[in-house]
Amino acid sequence: MGMSKTEKKSTEEVRRKKGRPVHKRLTVVPERCSGCRLCEVACSLVRFGVNNPKKSCLRVMVAYPHPVIRMPIICHQCRDPKCAENCPTDAIEVHDGVVALDGEKCISCNQCVISCPFGAVFTHEDMDTPFKCDLCGGDPECVKICPKRALLYVPEHMVGEEHRVTSLLKYAHMREIEYVEKGERKILKYADIERLKDEDKRGILQKDTGD
Amino acid sequence: MKIKGGYFKKILEIDLSSRKSRVLDLSDRFVLKYIGGRGFGAKLVWDNMRPGLDPLGPDNIIVIAPGPLTGVFLPSSGKTSFVSISPATGIYADSNVGGMFGVELRQAGYDALVIKGRADKLCYIWIDEGQVEIVENEDLKGRGSLETEGMVRHEIGDEMVKVATIGPAGENLVGFACVTADWGRNAGRTGMGAIMGSKNLKAIAIRGSQDLPVHDIKLLRELSNDSFAHLKKNPYFEFWQRQGLMSVVDYLNHAGLLPTHNFSGGVFDRAESINGFEMEERYKIGDTACFGCPMACGNINLVKEGEYAGTVVEGPEYETACMFGSNIGVDNFAFILKANALCDELGIDTISAGNLIGVLMEGCKRGDLKPDDIDGLALDWGDEEGAVALIKKMARREGVGDVLADGAKRVIEKWPALKPIISEVKGLEQSAYDGRATISMALAYATSDIGAHHARAWTVGKELEMGAEWGIEEKVDLVIYHQETRPVFDMLGVCRLPWIELGFSELHYPEFYRAVTGVSMSIEEMFSRSDDLYNLTRLINIDRGVTRKDDYPPDRCFDLPIPSGPQAGKVVNRDEYERMLKLYYEKRGWDENGVPKESVREQFSDKLNE
Repeated sequence: MGMSKTEKKSTEEVRRKKGRPVHKRLTVVPERCSGCRLCEVACSLVRFGVNNPKKSCLRVMVAYPHPVIRMPIICHQCRDPKCAENCPTDAIEVHDGVVALDGEKCISCNQCVISCPFGAVFTHEDMDTPFKCDLCGGDPECVKICPKRALLYVPEHMVGEEHRVTSLLKYAHMREIEYVEKGERKILKYADIERLKDEDKRGILQKDTGD
Repeated sequence: MKIKGGYFKKILEIDLSSRKSRVLDLSDRFVLKYIGGRGFGAKLVWDNMRPGLDPLGPDNIIVIAPGPLTGVFLPSSGKTSFVSISPATGIYADSNVGGMFGVELRQAGYDALVIKGRADKLCYIWIDEGQVEIVENEDLKGRGSLETEGMVRHEIGDEMVKVATIGPAGENLVGFACVTADWGRNAGRTGMGAIMGSKNLKAIAIRGSQDLPVHDIKLLRELSNDSFAHLKKNPYFEFWQRQGLMSVVDYLNHAGLLPTHNFSGGVFDRAESINGFEMEERYKIGDTACFGCPMACGNINLVKEGEYAGTVVEGPEYETACMFGSNIGVDNFAFILKANALCDELGIDTISAGNLIGVLMEGCKRGDLKPDDIDGLALDWGDEEGAVALIKKMARREGVGDVLADGAKRVIEKWPALKPIISEVKGLEQSAYDGRATISMALAYATSDIGAHHARAWTVGKELEMGAEWGIEEKVDLVIYHQETRPVFDMLGVCRLPWIELGFSELHYPEFYRAVTGVSMSIEEMFSRSDDLYNLTRLINIDRGVTRKDDYPPDRCFDLPIPSGPQAGKVVNRDEYERMLKLYYEKRGWDENGVPKESVREQFSDKLNE
């Protein structure tokens, strides 16, 4: 079921045609997520016109206290989507990089919900069929509202870049440099430079509020 | 005016004695008069008043009320009030909590939850939209707040269900036991956990999936997208995400008003060991936010090494860092995290706990207390071990902890010599702001309807800035302005931090209210509802025995000047305070004893559904 390999190849070819918009992907930096669930509400508003986080096409999951993590579960718009593969009525197809569910063909068996490895297809008793992310037609609301930049919509080759930057900074944090000041050998840690920088910023505290 | 959204106009009432629940319908008139949240709570508590009501008896009720804006797409809409009569103060009390709990209660289709009676056995309430179950579970006895939260989720079989719990302190009826939700968000003050404990109610679990009623979705989206963009542009926005309220440590220490050594001093020489930068550099592992909040003021911290290694806690915020830091002479941030985690798990308020530990430490230093009086503890400033021991004793009511557990009033009864150094009003332990340099803050504490809590009116910053040019009238007006503005947020079910911290105008809220409910209510009308609420809680307090003599700040405010630092020598002048209190009563329309007019009483005799 779902897409054959030849179909997939043709999608890629189409994407490479000149003049096509940059193909972007929705991605998550879980470490940044504060768990505020603004993405959920914004999604339900734009997608279904209701204020209901339980009718959103992504879901913030929380684990605490061991381990501590908050993370929005999103649809990755897989190239070879398990949801489509397991759909008995071919109701799920990939169009322009978006895995789309056709409500007309769907029989609401929820096979797609349980076959998604991430749990990124959702159901709600008010809804006739399961529902999933359609990237808001290429301008995802969740990304725009996220106050922590935990949700990103980036060109495909940039997926993972936030993690690479974090990894880079962690490495720099561990580094020490030796230098000589007034004949004395000293060691400077990058972590300390950061602290000094922060101390300079303390002017920010001169404000009249504070409870 | 017809209400077109924002409310379900339903309250769920659960009687634990009869194990029955019913849904009460609310009229439009009622809803618009009391607005929601703390407004609904105060009215329901007022209706339940009877002579000799025992706060810990089955007749007392606890109201859990989010507001009409809770859970709605606008900044920081996750607040819920817990309202009752406090076991420690004996008067009107409320405490609010953020997180997700109130949103879920609304999604279950209720504007508020009222719990009365007492269960025979330890139980939890499980509300799955229209289905209400009272589940007995003796295995929860003595369990920590967070442990209980996990156990209830597990038993229900849904990791995302929202749960509010009490710890052992709530079960042991500690006067400042808190209610915890969402892994460490607390309705901390005034002993709401003890009210649940007195009802044998260990937890409340809720699941709901309904749309929140919003009248004009398009308008709401426009208003809110503008508001979020506006907040993000604020130069402090990113800094708030980083440190949250922890930045207040430095602000107050620079101002010479960081409570130090049981509120005796205002400058802590090791403040840099307990401030936001120390937290960021060594302990912070993540941000956390309540529902719909871009500010994410919550900090998740982990102690990675040393004696307290392995401690994970959401917190501290400023109050906790001060009360378990400078106020008890501790300069070890890891200890603050440990104390915070311990208080969360045991279910006690960090402000009251830190305040009382500070009192005992100073009492020992002054010789008012001997080690024999306090289970052989030889307390000194910075005594981490002693503080941990006291936290555990309070929660378990062991030894001296049994006295502390009843709160400041009982401590004074037991050791009258401590009265000059204990900071409390009406039996509620003072939170982490000093009133001596700003008389308006002293008045704010003294006239707060729940006791010495800063969230009713926080006037320190403004008076420091303007005070020198001000007469008493401006200062009284400032207190009333705060007491008038802040309840609006609590009634609407939103957080006031965008307003106070990022300068987000209160004028946005009538607009949000109109988009959500379809009702035009000006900010002046909202303030007027808020003034009514202050009259209502004052009447409850008058009926519970409060008189003019209870409207005074702690003795220290008048008698013991700030010893050093930028505010050295500052103390509240008693004559000036008397004149301000008199003027405050006049402006409130109360008589010279602080009693509202008899006609005010009639205003609140209306019923829920008429």
